Amino acid sequence: MPLDTSTTYPLTKLRLDGRRWNELRLIQAQISTNPASSGSSYLSMGNTAIMCSVHGPAEGRRGDASGTAGGAGAIVEVDVNVAGFAGVDRKRRAGGSDKQSSRIATTLRSAFQSHLHTYLYPHSTISIHVSVLSADGSLLAAAINACTLALVDAGIPMPGLLTSCTAGMSGSASTPKDPRHDELDPLLDLSLPEEQELPVLTVGTTTSVPVGENNMDEEEGEMKVAVLTMDSKLHSTYIETMLAVGIDGCNQIRELLEGVIKGSSGA
Amino acid sequence: MSNQRQASSASQVPHLSPAELSYLYSSLSLPKTPIRPDGRSPTQFRPLTAETNILPGTNGSARIGFADGTQAIVGVKAEVEKTVLANETLARNDGGAGLDRGEQEGSAAVGGHGSWVQMSIEIPGFRDDDALPVFLSEMMRESLVGAVGTREASDMAGGLKERLVINKRWHWRLYIDVLLLSQPLAYPLPLLSLTTHLALLSTKLPKRKSQGEEDPFFDDDWAVAEYLYPRPSLSSGKTNSTGSSFVRPPVTLLVISVGENIIFDPNREEIAVADAVLAISITRDSEAGTLKLLSIRTVDPPSRLTQPGVPNSENVSMLGAVAPTEDVAVLNPATGEEEVPGVWRPRRGGVKRSVIAEMVKTALKKGGVGEEVLEGLEGVEVS
Amino acid sequence: MMADRRRINGPPGGTRPAVFASNLQSGTSATDRAQRQRQPSELRKIFLKTGLIPTASGSSYLEFEPSASLAAARANPKSLIPPSSALKLACTVHGPKPLPRSAAFSPNLVLTTHIKYAPFAARQRKGHIRDASERDLGVHLETALRGAIIAERWPKSGLDITITILEAEDDRWWGSAPDSHDASWGMMNVLAGCITAASAAIADAHIDCLDLVAGGVAALVSDDSASTSTVAPKLMLDTDPAEHRSILSACVVAYMPARDEITELWLKGDSSKASLEDGDDRTGHEALIDGAVDAARGAHAVLAEAVRESLLKTVGQA
Repeated sequence: MPLDTSTTYPLTKLRLDGRRWNELRLIQAQISTNPASSGSSYLSMGNTAIMCSVHGPAEGRRGDASGTAGGAGAIVEVDVNVAGFAGVDRKRRAGGSDKQSSRIATTLRSAFQSHLHTYLYPHSTISIHVSVLSADGSLLAAAINACTLALVDAGIPMPGLLTSCTAGMSGSASTPKDPRHDELDPLLDLSLPEEQELPVLTVGTTTSVPVGENNMDEEEGEMKVAVLTMDSKLHSTYIETMLAVGIDGCNQIRELLEGVIKGSSGA
Repeated sequence: MSNQRQASSASQVPHLSPAELSYLYSSLSLPKTPIRPDGRSPTQFRPLTAETNILPGTNGSARIGFADGTQAIVGVKAEVEKTVLANETLARNDGGAGLDRGEQEGSAAVGGHGSWVQMSIEIPGFRDDDALPVFLSEMMRESLVGAVGTREASDMAGGLKERLVINKRWHWRLYIDVLLLSQPLAYPLPLLSLTTHLALLSTKLPKRKSQGEEDPFFDDDWAVAEYLYPRPSLSSGKTNSTGSSFVRPPVTLLVISVGENIIFDPNREEIAVADAVLAISITRDSEAGTLKLLSIRTVDPPSRLTQPGVPNSENVSMLGAVAPTEDVAVLNPATGEEEVPGVWRPRRGGVKRSVIAEMVKTALKKGGVGEEVLEGLEGVEVS
Repeated sequence: MMADRRRINGPPGGTRPAVFASNLQSGTSATDRAQRQRQPSELRKIFLKTGLIPTASGSSYLEFEPSASLAAARANPKSLIPPSSALKLACTVHGPKPLPRSAAFSPNLVLTTHIKYAPFAARQRKGHIRDASERDLGVHLETALRGAIIAERWPKSGLDITITILEAEDDRWWGSAPDSHDASWGMMNVLAGCITAASAAIADAHIDCLDLVAGGVAALVSDDSASTSTVAPKLMLDTDPAEHRSILSACVVAYMPARDEITELWLKGDSSKASLEDGDDRTGHEALIDGAVDAARGAHAVLAEAVRESLLKTVGQA
């Protein structure tokens, strides 16, 4: 019997790596890791490790179309590079980028293009370089979190931290949810083996930084979903549960990242 | 962009004016006591931070960062692969066109193959088939697989290639992926070479449980995995801890000559005025305990692409303002060309044999730069 | 390896004609390997001619004399497979021409070099897309030539040098197992030929140079015959890798005799065990470099003669 989360979870209520359904993996993060860039960060969620560096806002490259197109605000450029040694097997990349990394790049670009206050920097380019050093699930979520940290380090204004997390279900969830005896639990922050066998979605949320004291309670009301991708099959009755868990995970990660940022600025 | 790719081997030429270049050149070529912009001695390396085993998913990994923010990460991965015997070798063994010959070929096939080590270098702003990454990876791979020890030496006979042999039908394939995290500020060779060295030092292969010609299978326990480059056992109690008794991966040093001076680990500004640039790969000779030369390559010095300065005597706007005797061309002994002092001329021509010999000697000599670098790397805690 | 999907490619390994055991006399396989007939310091003859391609501003064609063993094998064929191959290459120079509009300003002549093996050039078929070794050779050639060309006389201009290798040197004797020594020693001979040919083509294009730069190869060879196992390696000039059992170390230089300067040096392998004559206190690598320089001097003589010929031809036409 293959040992995976869908078989062990109903028996033990523990996932393959020993976590409960609502536990995140260990998150370690650091900012200002690379003095040669405007902003940089290192973030690891479990065995997924990502380095991110931000250059800019800088004048768009001469001769490029973006120099004129960025008239209204800064253009965000994202470059995602999955190292050959990131996965379990060494991957030979033909010609620079594969489908997975260019998909992540597109999602990151559209997320941060609308998230950042780009109108403050007309005719300029913010380029983000993401290196995936080790890939063990939740790549997009980890990349979003790393980019947020690096952009904060670069001092680029944004309404709030954009954090992201994955959520899944502990079974294939292809039949409607039965409210009376529901043996499927939603799962938080999936690792690579779980991501491959279970339905998964990635959600990214942002909040405005509370202004004044009375706004503290209304944080929930200010929450916005900025990124939401899912490409696995799932019965529609489970979506709401997964989203709720994912958004909760985003909030946990936000607190962690805020701690990282505050800790580093105090030091 | 395309122009940057063309100016391949020489990295990018920094935007320095002819006057700045000339100032740099004259301070670096001061006889015996060159003054480097960052105050280092000619043989001193830039300070760096290093750590190893940063990635749990690889067989070995390392990160090195220079103070200017350029960082490299190297990950080494190993795979077991079936050795393809050349069909003619098999055919000849069957054909029986001489038994001794067949045996000979068989033993040759066990000898390891350079293509089992694969190296790729990724530099932002370059495609991986651009000239610079290709040149750099060929340079480093050539010295890695070329490091041949003698057969008498115990553990690492035949260098890295032999070490990858499992048995006649199976071998390890080693992938070395080098990741430069930012645009190179200087010629990235020293950074990449040192990082690769450390990553290989920390590389472990799982312990083999099969024996002889069996299909290989390995111990699951990573704690008992063996180093690719074996460590001297502490129990053997050899107190002369020069580290010369075991084999280390090679390192490639970047050396430039400016005037009569020889300078190691140049930064971007220094390499821009170099008369000649050499990449010298060295390793420790396992028997003699001295250093051994593995390869030399010339690197195209970027000084050939710089813009010349105009001496006052030829400057139309200065016409008549200077006495013609004020700047007289003198013969530069290092280049053999007439030059007006203080006026930059792009370097032309090549390098004298005596200069090359001197550069290699400085790198190899006992207590020289090569030993210093290797000792420094040995000091890095490989956990 | 990038797959070439536009063409229908032959099998990558190539095929060899069948050799039947009955046709082979017993024991021939031991003597199959070509033996070097030349003295250690004797070079192969070089055929070099300029101006063969009228559409290019400069061109040259270079050929190495096939080694004696090849001629012998042709006269008295024992096998259908030739024992060694000789270098044949064509070089074209286009320019100096204005840089493309998009390129940045350059105060110097911008040199680009392309070296391409013809698909049939080596025993192993080469693809249509340049692989790592070809790009590597291109960088070496660029370094060699840039030192010789007086680049500041052509600001804002480009010069394209394209070399097609029609027949390449072998990296080893074809009968050796491919693993016996896998370092690409043949590449070094190819580079030396490329440097000499490119130099002739540049002179043919009337581009100012400091000197004609010529390429030369020297190697440390240990030809241990079966009886003596440990013979100290000997220094040989212009080695044909097919003629030697094991090459320990080799060196190629691009050399300008008039200034006694090296513009390109590529040395690899273990040169520490060279056996030199008594009283010769040079280290192995120095002896190797000196040997390669001597080989380059030889090539330079041919180069100078070829350039003189092409000049006389131009003068005759005018």
